[in-house]
Amino acid sequence: MMDHETYRRALLSDPHSEDAALRQHRDTCEQCAGYTERLLHFESRLERALQLEMRAPAAALRPGRDRPGRDRRDGHRPGRLALAASVLLALVVAGAVWLAVPRASLAAAVVAHMAGEPDAWNTRAAVADPALESVLKNANMQLNASAGVVSYASSCEFRGHVVPHLVVQSAEGPVTVMVLVHESVSKQVQFDEHGYRGVIVPVAGHGSIALLMRGPDARIDDVEGIAARVRNAIVWPR
Amino acid sequence: MKDRFGGNQRRARFQALCQSLRPDLLRFAFWLSRDRALAEDVVQETMLRAWKAQDSLLDEGAAKPWFLTIVRREFARTFERKRFPTVDIDELIRSEQPSLAAAEEHELGELRTAIFKLPDEYREPLVLQVLMGYSTAEIAREMNLSGAAVLTRLFRARNQLRAMCGEETQQDPPE
Repeated sequence: MMDHETYRRALLSDPHSEDAALRQHRDTCEQCAGYTERLLHFESRLERALQLEMRAPAAALRPGRDRPGRDRRDGHRPGRLALAASVLLALVVAGAVWLAVPRASLAAAVVAHMAGEPDAWNTRAAVADPALESVLKNANMQLNASAGVVSYASSCEFRGHVVPHLVVQSAEGPVTVMVLVHESVSKQVQFDEHGYRGVIVPVAGHGSIALLMRGPDARIDDVEGIAARVRNAIVWPR
Repeated sequence: MKDRFGGNQRRARFQALCQSLRPDLLRFAFWLSRDRALAEDVVQETMLRAWKAQDSLLDEGAAKPWFLTIVRREFARTFERKRFPTVDIDELIRSEQPSLAAAEEHELGELRTAIFKLPDEYREPLVLQVLMGYSTAEIAREMNLSGAAVLTRLFRARNQLRAMCGEETQQDPPE
């Protein structure tokens, strides 16, 4: 049986490890399950910290520019310079487009959160009404029955805010829904990471909703259809 | 990416490939060098070298690790060519403050500063794993280390970051 220290050291080396022995320890040790969730939150922050915005500076258009401490040999090779200039010009244009696209880090944080609550996927039966109402009340929202059977409901900490984490049953299987009032996206974002496929859908005036399915059979079209259904079923405060 | 196409088509494909990879290459070079201008230079040189050596890229799907390897080598060459003065971490942090500051979250700026302070040998495998999605085996191959050495460095990298950010830490594993 693995001890806590060995488990935590291994997790610090690779927080997303799929190792069976690590999973077994986590499933049977409440303390280490809690540690795992805290570490995954830290990991989500780390991923976002590393995802710096890399704006292309004007200097990038001048491949032969002098830079203190650098040997500039390129200035004597006009052919290479022409190629570099054309490549870099195209890159600056692409960079502008890239900067306008919502960052993938929100999706990464949603996926990281899934790893902290693996049991959420396992129940098929509807969660008790009072439990669901409590979670919705915390978020100051309501959910119509047209959303489908809600088999899991929890108020979770996510990027500094408490958000509803629901699992809705559908004909295609369970779908996790996270209502992210504090996370705005300018347009719909699709993601496919670590075995999860999903979308983050903007909701005007109410941030966004993230929906995802897991496994190789998950289809993004299905998730999008369910996203539309769930979005219409949410009743926002007036 | 053998030259099955005409010159223009070949150039267009190469440009498209560079466009898609450039943000990640730039981030990787920045975290290696901790200097945005140097990162720009390294990536620019990388693309020129890649253009010249593109016949050695047989599978376009493997382009990202191929480019990252060139970035690493180019970065090492830069240091071979020019011996830089001793790095003053505080000065580096001050000069790159606009990059490190995160408008949306103060905590991210703090974490980025902590990443800056990590020793090179811990920062690089961490960036390869977290940012580039490399497995332990891939990092080991890239850095010419054993798998166990990579895991130890990753453990220490996160443990030191967590200590700098006031999070709970673990004891170093026995050698």
